Amino acid sequence: MSIFLSLILTSLASGQTLSNDVKLTNAEDSPLKIRAILKSHCNNCHGEKKPAGMARLDNLNFDFSVAADMWFAIKEQIEQELMPPENSRKLSKGDSNLILNWIDKQFLNFMPTKPNQGNLVPHALLFGKEFAPSKMQADRVWRLSPGAYKGLINDITRKKLEGIVQPFTLTPERGIKDFAALYTIDEPSTEILIRNAEMIVESQTAHEFKDGKISGKNDSLRDFVLLMDPKLDVTNAQVQAVLQQQFKLAIGRDANAEEVSDFLKLYEKCAKLGERSAAIKTMLQAVLLRTDALYRSEKGRVEKDAMDRQQLSQLDLARAISLTLGDRKDTALFQAAQKGELTTKARVQIHLERMLDDPKFEKTRILKFFQEFFEYHNATEIFKDKPKDFMHQARTLVDDTDRLVLHILKADRDVFRELLTTQLSFVNTAKKMNKQTRQEEIVRAVIPPTVNENKMPRQIAPSGVESVYGLKEWPTVQPTVLPENTRIGILMQPSWLVAFSTNFDNDPVRRGRWVRERLLGGTVPDLPIGVIAQVSDEKNLVFRDRLKVTREKSCWNCHSKMDELGLPFENFDHFGRFRISETVLDLEATSKNIDKKGMPIGPIHHEVDLNTKGLISFSGEATLNGPVNNPREMIQRLAKSDRVRQVFIRHAFRFFMGRNETLADAKALQDADNAYVKSQGSFKALLVSLLTSDSFLYRNNSNSIPKSVGETK
Amino acid sequence: MSFKTTRRALMKDITLGAGASLLGPVLGQLAAHAAGNAKAIRKKIVFVVQGNGMNPNHLVPVGVKRRPDGKNERPNNDTLFELSLKDLELNSALEPLTPFKNKLALLQGLSGRIALSDHSANHGALGCYPANKGAMAQTIDFALGQAVPGIMPHIGLGLMNKPDITMNYNFSASAPGKIVPIQCSPELAFKALFGSIAEGSGKDSFDRKTNLLDFMANDVKKTRSTLATEERIKFDQYLEAFEALRDRQATIATIHDSLKVYAPKLEDRYKNPTKTNRLEAQFEIAAASLITGLSNVITLVSGGGGQHYISYPELGIPVDGHHYGHGGGVEGKNYEECFVTVRKYHTKLIANLAKKLASVKEGDGTMLDNTLIVYLSDSGDSHHPNLYEWPVVLLGNLGGKFKTEGRYLQFPNYNTKNHRTMSNLYLTLLEAVGKPRDKFGIADPGLKDTDQRGIISELLV
Repeated sequence: MSIFLSLILTSLASGQTLSNDVKLTNAEDSPLKIRAILKSHCNNCHGEKKPAGMARLDNLNFDFSVAADMWFAIKEQIEQELMPPENSRKLSKGDSNLILNWIDKQFLNFMPTKPNQGNLVPHALLFGKEFAPSKMQADRVWRLSPGAYKGLINDITRKKLEGIVQPFTLTPERGIKDFAALYTIDEPSTEILIRNAEMIVESQTAHEFKDGKISGKNDSLRDFVLLMDPKLDVTNAQVQAVLQQQFKLAIGRDANAEEVSDFLKLYEKCAKLGERSAAIKTMLQAVLLRTDALYRSEKGRVEKDAMDRQQLSQLDLARAISLTLGDRKDTALFQAAQKGELTTKARVQIHLERMLDDPKFEKTRILKFFQEFFEYHNATEIFKDKPKDFMHQARTLVDDTDRLVLHILKADRDVFRELLTTQLSFVNTAKKMNKQTRQEEIVRAVIPPTVNENKMPRQIAPSGVESVYGLKEWPTVQPTVLPENTRIGILMQPSWLVAFSTNFDNDPVRRGRWVRERLLGGTVPDLPIGVIAQVSDEKNLVFRDRLKVTREKSCWNCHSKMDELGLPFENFDHFGRFRISETVLDLEATSKNIDKKGMPIGPIHHEVDLNTKGLISFSGEATLNGPVNNPREMIQRLAKSDRVRQVFIRHAFRFFMGRNETLADAKALQDADNAYVKSQGSFKALLVSLLTSDSFLYRNNSNSIPKSVGETK
Repeated sequence: MSFKTTRRALMKDITLGAGASLLGPVLGQLAAHAAGNAKAIRKKIVFVVQGNGMNPNHLVPVGVKRRPDGKNERPNNDTLFELSLKDLELNSALEPLTPFKNKLALLQGLSGRIALSDHSANHGALGCYPANKGAMAQTIDFALGQAVPGIMPHIGLGLMNKPDITMNYNFSASAPGKIVPIQCSPELAFKALFGSIAEGSGKDSFDRKTNLLDFMANDVKKTRSTLATEERIKFDQYLEAFEALRDRQATIATIHDSLKVYAPKLEDRYKNPTKTNRLEAQFEIAAASLITGLSNVITLVSGGGGQHYISYPELGIPVDGHHYGHGGGVEGKNYEECFVTVRKYHTKLIANLAKKLASVKEGDGTMLDNTLIVYLSDSGDSHHPNLYEWPVVLLGNLGGKFKTEGRYLQFPNYNTKNHRTMSNLYLTLLEAVGKPRDKFGIADPGLKDTDQRGIISELLV
């Protein structure tokens, strides 16, 4: 057996880690000792000559930043006791601990960069009694998200501009998508940005001549328009004034003397070519293309405080907070920054609480977090055949769930548990403006077409989208309480179930992986290269039995951690409809279903009892482990867990910080968790805690570990 | 427009001795070609995408019936059916392509149901994915443009009904969510591509852009230097983008003489911007761009994409395509006669483009020998398509890669074992330019038993 192939590809880290016993300060860890252990236990197969799985451990690099993926794989293999393989000399508990302890400690200085690697940072150390040394992150820049770019355009133009094309995209990978480390601006994006800049400046300078006099058109900017007049003898001061105005609009500050000088040079160079107004436009376009307009800058101020930390500069902080919660600048926050008022946590907190309570400030990123955490919005990407007897409208299902999330956030009490267990749901809803009351109200989103029985007597009108939720009539009270013992929470919303389905079937493996990663904080490797994920096509079997391929020994190591968490959701079909039996092909009846000439007429189906049992295992919290009878029981149990709540906090940290956590963020995470618990599950309290944490507010650009290391509770 | 001088002869003077290694890929290619390296000749591909659907019957040669029962409807063959066009007369809709009959392959029966939508599949037409979800992934034209890059990987030119709508954003994409706009103003397209040779404002505009790119490259560089090393990487690509675009401007300036020779003379058409004038101008810009090496892949669109319909008063059709798409006639013509008139006009433009490319010598033959023109509708088989079949006309063999020596091919019907899709066709194009992929677009869930990942080997030599 190629043991390292499975080391790399089939490893899985659960939450139950040996790291529970790890003491950061007392760990006796030494690369020399680890090398000796690897030599005695691993290098036989993973040495220089024909290394199994083409992976060598004899020359493994101990610089984590160089060989992180290999060390992640080793950690997973040892934790799961997958390596060394059967019939080989096992690692002693001490040796395992030594290696795992050393790996865990690397997370002090090393941050996994990809969104789905965050769970590799040991949970027990993040939420343990002992804090790791708290080391601030260094300065960073973060390319605007597509939403923030749109917000920037809105801030600049304050109107909808036709023809603006979105230059930025996010990774199509699962989970949280907008990490600061992931994105740059490539050539096609730059071409779009240039075209957009041209269009914006055209709009800012749009004008016409009436009786020889210039006047602005369509909300153009007066000062900009005046300079478009060929008869005007433009002064340098006027050019500077529009330059400063453009800087304020796009960057939120004045240009400094050096920048003014540079931009004027560009203007003068272009003006020499002829048309002066065109030269001004070019200069204004250049401001819109600057990195500080298109990237969010997070730099610490030069002065360090007593703790050797540097707080983010005022403007950087104002933009960071604005873009953490929404897509646009918060004017009051920027004004405070310009006055230098954002100097203490308390002052930042006042603004945060104001913004969170202000309905006029659109906090688009909060819903976005829940969409990326739960991933139910992917339902619209799953293409299904149009069902004959009911209506499937993925967009409406997603809108319903969005409304449910917002409804729970509005109450702001026990938010996460409510999201997992609420019996309420919006059902087939849309919003419509009531012209009389001038208020938005909930209406029925999709109404099934009526069938003209004279013309099409055989056709049956399909049931409405509400039938997917198990309701015959559209409920006029929204949200409505769903039928008892059918579904609870987001994970049993039709949108989530569809998002985690395929074109024709449920997808218990991906459902299980979601529970493993997002609720239990474990990691699951991607499908090994070369393995074709093919579920048996035996339509006479229930899906649970068709999934038998994953029970093969080589697959089950990983699949036992996923499938058992996903199979309880077999309580629903792949459109998200609750069911108590599963429709399968009746082979015998189908074979007999023939016409007089012996030709088959069509398939015959029959109903088979459902098995919705599953198993929680390797959860990292002993009381969670054990069998479950159905998805409701499983989710109810998980929703009560401290660990599951903390894993949720970790994901919120990642989304709003735009990076994975490190051990140095332990205090920020624990403070956020405490704030959430003390406030009886207020998401606002959680956010305020995260955004006033040292992890958010401070930077440190020196490589040394600061004085505050080793803080303990 | 004169095509007496060959590109090779012209470029010999420019590139050799100028240090070809310092020049961009196209000039390097031309230099190599001028020095006799025929292998360096790059392939050129043109997509002509016309709105309102393409009636499969327009591809059926005179006297041929699509089905054994004599009906001109979708046949239910389960194996490939093929005819030689040699002794057949082209349908009147394709009649202008007759001089190129021995370079044609008329493809019937490829499906594209994943992109099903009324009136237009939008990005799905060239991307093989759902029609109304924006640019879900890279489209085939841009993918090919990256495979055979000219100075620009891809140029999109088009026609909208109103001259003041200058862009169409519904056809091409460079990556998920990244729309590549189709420039629908020949005047703006000319300025962008040939502005460097224009006198007056066009030249100034080109030079201003160069200044802007130069300034931005320096500006990004300056900001970059204030960051820590690991963060600088995030600005590197942005810096490189400005540098590349600036270099592109410089390269364009270097082929100034070539551009001057081949740049279309469009003044009359600017003055009288009728639909036909504008579309003809775009075809001329496309031809000149291919000949000068500005790009090797061009998408030419006429209406369509986002439901844009064109009226052609100059052709006796003063109503837009939506009118005759819904069965309306005009000026004594029924809807089908309107469709044929407009199709005939487009095939005439395609024939003229092919003629121009055939007049430029390249290697041992002509530029047309190294070109493939792919003609289709973004709305597949009809104004209201069902996309069980998506008719495609191929003209040219892309340097001997394609078997297009006058063939009429009816591929196996939808949901039969050997059925082929538009994805398969696009995979074949990628194979032909040496950039094979495992899959293209999103598989049609209705075709569980069909291999949607392979190429169409019957089309390749």
